[in-house]
Amino acid sequence: MITFIQMEFLKLKRSKIFLLSLMGAILPPLLMFIAVTAFDEGHSFEALFTNVNMYMSAMFAVLIFAIIISYLFGREYSEHTLKTMLTIPISREKFLISKYIMFLVWIVILTVVTSLSTLIFGFIAGLEGLTLKLIITSFSQLLLANVLLFLTFSPFVFISLLITNMVPAMVGGATLSLINIMVYGQNWAPFVPWVCPYLIASGEIAKYGANIMVSYGIILVTFLIGLAVSLYQKGCCNLKKVL
Amino acid sequence: MVEYIIETNNLSKIYYNNTVVDSINMHVEKGKIYGLLGKNGAGKTTTMCMLLNLAYPTSGEIYLFGKNSKKYTKEIYSNIGSIIETPGFYENLTAYENLKIISKLRKDFYPQNINLVLEMVNLENSKSKKFKDFSLGMKQRLGIAAAIMHNPELLILDEPINGLDPFGIKEIRTLLKRLSHEYGITILISSHILSEIENIADVIGIMDNGILIEEIPKEELHNRLNKFVEFELSDGYRAVELLEKIGLKANKDFTITKEGIIHLYSNLEMRDKINALFVSAGIDVKKVNLCEENLEDFFTRFVSNN
Repeated sequence: MITFIQMEFLKLKRSKIFLLSLMGAILPPLLMFIAVTAFDEGHSFEALFTNVNMYMSAMFAVLIFAIIISYLFGREYSEHTLKTMLTIPISREKFLISKYIMFLVWIVILTVVTSLSTLIFGFIAGLEGLTLKLIITSFSQLLLANVLLFLTFSPFVFISLLITNMVPAMVGGATLSLINIMVYGQNWAPFVPWVCPYLIASGEIAKYGANIMVSYGIILVTFLIGLAVSLYQKGCCNLKKVL
Repeated sequence: MVEYIIETNNLSKIYYNNTVVDSINMHVEKGKIYGLLGKNGAGKTTTMCMLLNLAYPTSGEIYLFGKNSKKYTKEIYSNIGSIIETPGFYENLTAYENLKIISKLRKDFYPQNINLVLEMVNLENSKSKKFKDFSLGMKQRLGIAAAIMHNPELLILDEPINGLDPFGIKEIRTLLKRLSHEYGITILISSHILSEIENIADVIGIMDNGILIEEIPKEELHNRLNKFVEFELSDGYRAVELLEKIGLKANKDFTITKEGIIHLYSNLEMRDKINALFVSAGIDVKKVNLCEENLEDFFTRFVSNN
């Protein structure tokens, strides 16, 4: 499995999508930096971290993750590499799971980049109130939100195996981001799989009076359904799509 | 006893009520080059995909190296190299990196092996070039490099010379012949270039509409090709009268082209006497050739007859 993951890393060498995703991870801190400096939106590191985490995990991450998923899984079809890989032979399940792990690692990298860039932009803006505890808490919150969000993206794996083009992923991701914005603040937000990760991680879920275990359950069920259907789809391995 | 590396037993594939491969019984002998010949949509690629475990058969069995392919999957497929249509590689990676991924996943990564196969397919100077910058011919050659990198005993190549220039085709043909004759590798190859199949294959399997019509050894193929005598004459129509006078029938024993050239299909051993008949009748005989039907004509005739 380690070799599989190493090879997934190698596949990203010179990848423009990887660089674009890093830029996407820097975008929320950059926008918040502009808001702080140009529009006088709060002058503390705490406010900056809170805003960045919210915009990242509830909005930007959804779009970025959809694109990453589409690239990671769909490229094996669109670049006709799946037929090469499957005849090696390799286990289809191992292949799929290594991609899930790569996706998770990619998410962790993006989380680190977002947190680090927030820190740097905060320094440039001359914000106050930075403590080690704040850094750890904010990073942990964003990491938890993104990891939970990762679990809710398994249905997108199925879709990317079904439609290997990246355009539907971008449209889907953008739509989901908009839905998240609309849903955020509504009573039923804790029951929407792509919104509740941020609510759980930030602790905002308490304001909604919803049972946190129900939200965890929704995330888990979403993950399991997505995993099952994507494994089934990979198992079927439609010849016309492979070719 | 003949040892078959590939043997199928009533192998079929049905897609949405459409029978793409219909109960084929294929026999590929060890160390031989087997050419699979068929029109587009004949079922060649689907057959190869089933042999490679890329598509599941609707019914029938596949025996590779004498073993049931369903039971010994890993053992069998690690011993096969393949190209199915356009070879698939990661576009952002170099030739070397692409081969590295494949060999690492096969657990037999040796840099010298990669360099060796790149040299064999004349890509040693392009090993640091990104795949997306490769020409179609280079992509095909990289596909062949990937297929032979792990020293397989069986190569399954679907249209491997697609996109290659004549020089590249000759190179690959020489390479495949060398792999078969020097290293004893069994090769199953399909191509729409009939002359290529004729040049390279020891046995030719003819497929049409999902059916494997016949497997013909190359030695036998030449006996099956129609032979005819071609007469180029000063007066073709007068010659027709003479031929009919001696009992030969137009469109059966002979044909005449628009240009007045006569093709004689029967009584070939009498060509000297017929020649003398034309000369004595005052017809100038400009050319007499004993010709053999080419593979394309044979293939067309064979498929339409079957």
